[in-house]
Amino acid sequence: MLNVAELKQKACGTIEAHRDELTGIAKEILANPEVGFSETKTARLVADRFSQMGIQHQQGLALTGVKGRISGGAGQGPRLAILGELDSLVVQEHPFVQGDTGAAHACGHNCQIGMMLGATMGLLTPEVLDQLSGEIIPFAVPAEEFIEVERRLQLREEGQLELLGGKQELIRLGEFDDVDLAMMCHTASDMGDRKFAVGGTSNGHVVKYVEFTGRGAHAGGAPHLGINALNAASFALQAIHANRETHLADDTVRIHGIITRGGEAVSAVPSDVRLEWRVRSASPEAVVKNSAVVDRCFRAGALAVGASVSITNIPGYLPMRHDSKIQELFRENATNLLGESSILVMPPRRNRGGSTDMGDLSQMLPVCHPYTGGAEGPGHSKEYIINDYEQAVINPAKIMAMVAIDLLAEGGAKGNEVVKTHRPAMRKAAYLKFQRERAEVVQFNGSSD
Amino acid sequence: MSSSTSSKEDLKALAFREIDARADEIIGMAQSILKNPEPGFRETKTSRLVGEKFAALGVPFRTGLALTGVRGELVGGTPGPTLAVLGELDSLIVNQHPHADAATGAAHACGHHCQVAMMLGATMGLMQPEVLSGLSGRLVMMAVPAEEYIEIEYRDGLRRDGKIEFLGGKPELIKLGEFDDVDLAMMLHTTSNPQEKQLCISGTNNGTVAKKIQFLGKGAHAGGSPHLGINALNAATLAISAIHYNRETFRDEDTIRVHPIITKGGEAVSAVPADIRMETFVRGRTLEAITDADKKVDRALRAGAMAVGAQVKIQTIPGYLPLIQDSAMAQVFEQNAESLVGLENVGHTDHRTGSTDMGDVSQLMPAIHPYVGGATGLGHGADYVVQDYKLAVITAAKALASTAVDLLADGAAKGGEIVGGHRPNMTRAEYLDLMRGLAKEETFGDE
Repeated sequence: MLNVAELKQKACGTIEAHRDELTGIAKEILANPEVGFSETKTARLVADRFSQMGIQHQQGLALTGVKGRISGGAGQGPRLAILGELDSLVVQEHPFVQGDTGAAHACGHNCQIGMMLGATMGLLTPEVLDQLSGEIIPFAVPAEEFIEVERRLQLREEGQLELLGGKQELIRLGEFDDVDLAMMCHTASDMGDRKFAVGGTSNGHVVKYVEFTGRGAHAGGAPHLGINALNAASFALQAIHANRETHLADDTVRIHGIITRGGEAVSAVPSDVRLEWRVRSASPEAVVKNSAVVDRCFRAGALAVGASVSITNIPGYLPMRHDSKIQELFRENATNLLGESSILVMPPRRNRGGSTDMGDLSQMLPVCHPYTGGAEGPGHSKEYIINDYEQAVINPAKIMAMVAIDLLAEGGAKGNEVVKTHRPAMRKAAYLKFQRERAEVVQFNGSSD
Repeated sequence: MSSSTSSKEDLKALAFREIDARADEIIGMAQSILKNPEPGFRETKTSRLVGEKFAALGVPFRTGLALTGVRGELVGGTPGPTLAVLGELDSLIVNQHPHADAATGAAHACGHHCQVAMMLGATMGLMQPEVLSGLSGRLVMMAVPAEEYIEIEYRDGLRRDGKIEFLGGKPELIKLGEFDDVDLAMMLHTTSNPQEKQLCISGTNNGTVAKKIQFLGKGAHAGGSPHLGINALNAATLAISAIHYNRETFRDEDTIRVHPIITKGGEAVSAVPADIRMETFVRGRTLEAITDADKKVDRALRAGAMAVGAQVKIQTIPGYLPLIQDSAMAQVFEQNAESLVGLENVGHTDHRTGSTDMGDVSQLMPAIHPYVGGATGLGHGADYVVQDYKLAVITAAKALASTAVDLLADGAAKGGEIVGGHRPNMTRAEYLDLMRGLAKEETFGDE
């Protein structure tokens, strides 16, 4: 019988032995970026690895998800999911962009798959697995980045999806019904001299697909016959800015978007202008409140020029709640591996401003979503690259393996304790109800005729 | 027929001789008014000056019409149509004008002081017994208040107090019946535009509606709790932007002008502004164009309120109607202008985008509103001054007098022909219905 420290040493030894293979996987995915719900090659890569490792698995969950299942050798216990996100962003000028699609790993998800497989390899070490209770569920999940809204709405239209984020859809499909605990680790480029960060939170959000409809006309010959949908949109954006002074600092409100269609031809009054928009806030209540303000601004834009507007509100992500016990295990293991001076502990209210669908899962399960260094450049930009694969793949694989051992060894005592003491913010039924209430289409005709 | 032509010229010569003889006195009146500028419906000193002059001349007159108007009357030797010659009493408010009243900021930055003087000068010429007896019909010499449509808040107060109904002088005089017995009307306005030369035959003018706007938000500490406030200034600035977003839909030929000002922009910089007031005009060449633009402006104002969750109160006040120049009267004026200043010094304009309540008069009867030079600077600006009083007052008085002679001499053949052939756009009753129909009040938004 090995003690917990010895189990960790064994698992880390296995990961160490596969280091080149694991960083190679991360680099291979980097070279083959695929956007959310289209991650077919990346999913196949994960499935092939699972097969090689002898892990039974299901594929095609929420279109591209791959879910493995490994039983510990020490009997019943908590079921722990180790997640890795499959999808890339779209960043045309990224050095590792995929030419056809503009897809690029500008948020380090490629490393997540590497570290998820690495942690799994460590835990599969026979002496280790024998002493773990419960189950290990390595899970490659699709579409964390909430982008390409128009395309995903099309998938929804076709009945292929209901919720447009990967973990959201997996929750709906019941793929987390047999999971008790979940964790993952995300790369970050903003930690200064620290290498690993725990704590903090993230924003919830709602996603908007906005269509302004005006009336086309010759922009030189007969502008008086047109209704300029671009002016409606421009006014709406100004109106949004004018409301910024009313946002509470504690709500970490982020309102931003892009114009996906800005007019057909410069010589015609634009009659069809479309936007994808995002309203983020620290609490679900603040998301609902600020979303209503933004909808009012879009209506005002239509009213300003007599256009009409259709706002398709799409349920977005919920704020992140880290389980404090799992977080403490992450802190301890990261400290042991990297030294105390390399660890950043963020206060619970420290909101990173972004959003993740791990937040949705955190509303119902005990989860943890720490950050590892190894990246540089602003997230989601063309400058975001992994400059230290050791820190971005190998170290977080080891830390996650060690946290899993803490949770599942010794009869799964710690894991059971976490599960028993966890108080969900909402259960699955309440979650689905809340999200479905967000899904509404607001129509407004600003013409007084 | 040649004898009648020469007799008209004789009458003009007699009138001119009198105007020339009293040129210093006439110019002096203009300069005296320049030094005592008074904005519309407050022209008490200027009104008194006109009354005193009529009294001194022995012209029967009435005062206090539409608060400050003065109406004198001269009766020709035989019956005929009634021609009104108007001069506007009021000044603007232009604080930086060299002749501004230090206390009120009132200043004659549009040359109305010359109009009163030229009207009185024409009176002096036309009331010469040999002239007057050669005319058929009557001359109404009228000093009219409040042509400049300003101080809307003050005038709306007068309206609410029941002292006036309309916020411009001539609309109010029309309502009071002071134009009921008038068949033809004319006045002459100064200009600083060199292209309009010394005397200028003009065309149409924009009409306008006026708007008083109030955005109501919610006050709050602008640093401590802006999230509790509703910023009415943001609503207003957004509304102005929304107006701009509509400009591309205004047709060139409609010459729409929308030009708001903010008359109250917040109480203190440390508080979220909760009460913002604006005034604007919506001008255009036709009533239809004004109505279309006004609808867009209302929508833009509502959009500003909606954008931040404020409330907006919009009061639309009838302004002035587009001016139609009577071409036959204009032709008569043009001939006199040519003999006074020479063909090369007579200008022509087609459409002017400002507005005047002479437009309202022109909807009811044949009217002209030509221009006389002598001024420099930008109209309504601090640099608008009259440089050439001889042209702006004396030549102007002669142009009015000689046109009056042409219209009313010879048994008022010309004047009668114009009146007989003219089909007014509307009757007084229709005019009043239209104006009253333009007035509206609306409240839009929460609470």
